[in-house]
Amino acid sequence: MTVPPQAEPPLLEMKGVGKDYRGVAALKNIDFDLRRGEVHAIVGENGAGKSTLVKILSGAVMPTRGEIRLEGKRIQIAGPAFARRYGIAMVYQETSLVPTMTVAQNLYLGDEKFFNRLRGTYIEAQQFLQSLNFPVDPTATVLSLGTAKRQMVEIARAVRLEAKVIIFDEPTATLTPEEKHHLFALIERLREQQVSIVFISHALEEALEISDRITILRDGSHIITDDAKSFSRETIIRHMVGRSLTDDLYGRAADGRQSRPAGEKVLSVQNLSMQNVVRNTSFSVFAGQVTGVFGLVGSGRTETARIIAGVAKRDFFHGGDVRFENRSVRYRTPRAAVGEGVVYVTEDRKGDGFFETMSVAENIYIGQISSRDSRGIVASLSETRALAEIWKKKLNIRALSSDPRVIELSGGNQQKVVIAKALVQRPKLILFDEPTRGVDVGAIAEIHHLIGALADDGLAVVVISSYLPEILSLSDRILVSRQGRIVEELSPDEATSESVMFAAVY
Amino acid sequence: MRPLRQALDRWLGRGEASITTPPMDGAFRPNDLLDAASTVIATPAPDDLADTTRGLVVSSGRSLLYVHRQAEAPAASFDAEISALAGLPDGGVAAGLVDGRIGFVGGRYEGKTIPASPEVGCITALAAARDGALLIANGSAAHGPSDWKRDLMEKNASGSVWRLEPASGARTQLAANLAYPYGILEEADSIVVSESWRCALTRISPNAGRRGAPLLENLPAYPSRLTRGADDAIWLALFAPRSQLVEFVLSEDRYRRRMIDEIDADYWMAPCLRSGQSPLEPTQQGGVRQLGVLKPWSPSRSYGLIARLDGAYRPTASLHSRTNGHRHGVTSCLASAGRLYFTAKGDGIVASCAYEGSTP
Repeated sequence: MTVPPQAEPPLLEMKGVGKDYRGVAALKNIDFDLRRGEVHAIVGENGAGKSTLVKILSGAVMPTRGEIRLEGKRIQIAGPAFARRYGIAMVYQETSLVPTMTVAQNLYLGDEKFFNRLRGTYIEAQQFLQSLNFPVDPTATVLSLGTAKRQMVEIARAVRLEAKVIIFDEPTATLTPEEKHHLFALIERLREQQVSIVFISHALEEALEISDRITILRDGSHIITDDAKSFSRETIIRHMVGRSLTDDLYGRAADGRQSRPAGEKVLSVQNLSMQNVVRNTSFSVFAGQVTGVFGLVGSGRTETARIIAGVAKRDFFHGGDVRFENRSVRYRTPRAAVGEGVVYVTEDRKGDGFFETMSVAENIYIGQISSRDSRGIVASLSETRALAEIWKKKLNIRALSSDPRVIELSGGNQQKVVIAKALVQRPKLILFDEPTRGVDVGAIAEIHHLIGALADDGLAVVVISSYLPEILSLSDRILVSRQGRIVEELSPDEATSESVMFAAVY
Repeated sequence: MRPLRQALDRWLGRGEASITTPPMDGAFRPNDLLDAASTVIATPAPDDLADTTRGLVVSSGRSLLYVHRQAEAPAASFDAEISALAGLPDGGVAAGLVDGRIGFVGGRYEGKTIPASPEVGCITALAAARDGALLIANGSAAHGPSDWKRDLMEKNASGSVWRLEPASGARTQLAANLAYPYGILEEADSIVVSESWRCALTRISPNAGRRGAPLLENLPAYPSRLTRGADDAIWLALFAPRSQLVEFVLSEDRYRRRMIDEIDADYWMAPCLRSGQSPLEPTQQGGVRQLGVLKPWSPSRSYGLIARLDGAYRPTASLHSRTNGHRHGVTSCLASAGRLYFTAKGDGIVASCAYEGSTP
């Protein structure tokens, strides 16, 4: 990793840039500079101002104050088209592709020739994707692609526009380790071509691994910018939150917490099968415990949870049995499961977790409607607001206004809304799928405490996570999933990173 | 609607008709504790244990052996195989024989033999009641103890529980239509029986004369004898594992009938006390041996398992001998002097371990 010499003037410079929303400062007089051919990571808790900063750079919002300079010249990025003209491209966490169009059409969207020949476009797109080493079929519709491949198309589009600056917003959140490896190799190539990269990630190891410099924001303010090698995970977290959260997050050994004893058997999954994704898997879940499920991507964890909660269907013939409270159950819809106290908290909060254009109160009330004590769709405005207030207080949901739309919240607060929607349904069994994905460290600690408190209250809690420290610190028993089935059960005392990973891959 | 629903479930393999087995997790989380136990005696087919004033005894074929005094002559020998034992309050031991007779060794009834009766021909477990009577688990009305596999494959539920007055030899039936009662334990006002083919523990109220609700259902293996330790912990031996293949065979009536008629019982698709010893066994374990190593997690027809239950008959811990282990077919266990003794009938071993118990 080579850091360009400091003498060279920065490619992009922001001086005293700030942004106010309804008089509240989301970003306070930030100074930020980006050198030519460097990878610059921006890290901070959710709500720290990272998204606002990159939205200003990509032209999605206009700054309230301050100036931006590109190659020494003052510029005004009045919209996304301006940003593109200045050579600034953005790769979003949730891709901005048109799902019904093909990969090639998306690549050339807005840049079509007057007489457009589709075959030529496909050939050109094929060559271009191959040059990037992206295994994506240009004739496939985006709808048919998985998340990782959609992200590849998004990246390819930015590269095709010959951007000088490419901003990656949480690019690795949905990638497998292998895909992540490919992405890092691509970023390395872009760096060699003197493209400057702004890299936003909650995975601090990635920031430390890939970036030349790191800028840390907190509460809309600039805290520090320095070479990546002068940081450690510890120091980054300390700067991000103003205190050491490591123990709060993953410090089971430090606080000496004992595992919770098992209560009654609430759920017994017996020989459950779904095509070749879930293969004859069996396990039990007990009340008053957090059961952690670890497995690599594709090990069938999510699908198993979705079958239990009525979101997905098991095999039609001999698909196995799910026994909830000692009774064989087969939920055809999530509502039926919710009605009996089985609630699934999705890993894809933006797709399945909430209605982003509706308010927090409305979203929580929607959760209430499908619960056992619902009075149907008759909604009382005051009741809705009162309910929202209760849950906002309970889960510490923070927002700039009193009843914001969910889209206006930070990732951590959005996740809390999804959790509030689930808890308002008074579950007996709650299945959390990647509860802290794309969530900042401060919110992670809060969500972890909440999950622990639910188990303390006697609920049966299942936490599915790909992040080993999270599983090790949260769980009272750890189940390891591999190739569609639970292959190992470990107690927290005997579980180590090595033993869990060994069971997951061997 | 219900019969139609049941027929549909049977066809689709759903709901109660699904061919599934309960997971071995939670309190039944696999370990190697039975394999780690130290061998006390190696003897052919050790079956049941009992505590007497002269020490712990084990039944092995026709002989009653002292567990800790192997050099000595057997405590007793009978002219028929012993199928169950019970330690008596007076220090003697009652031995049920495969032909239905009950013999007494030591204690007040030393040398006495109670003749068989037509109703009780399959004594699988004995227990001494507090009032001096003997409780008898009669596994099946159709087959003897050695024919347990046939009883399972015929899906019989003809077992019964009896009360015997040793002095007079009078018998009273306490419960009937049980699915192979293989363990018996007296409670304050009831009797708890392990029903092997229902994979459950059932409470029987002798005064009410009927079977109560199951205390523990859906066990992952077929239960056998029950004993209570000095610390009031209840120990349950489970002699063979349930497997999806056997559950499937049990659901296929025509196939099962042909198998019973045409194939030798040793080679049936059925649970057994020790598998993997004959190349003629049904090839149920095709994928479990990799690079010559038998995988411990592979589905097997034999297994070693003991469960520790709390006062409410909830499993709290278990001891295992997994597929690759060598303590399979555990038919009885007994906690005595801080150690847990057990008979691995499939492997011909009586072993013991110091086990304090833990919650999962």
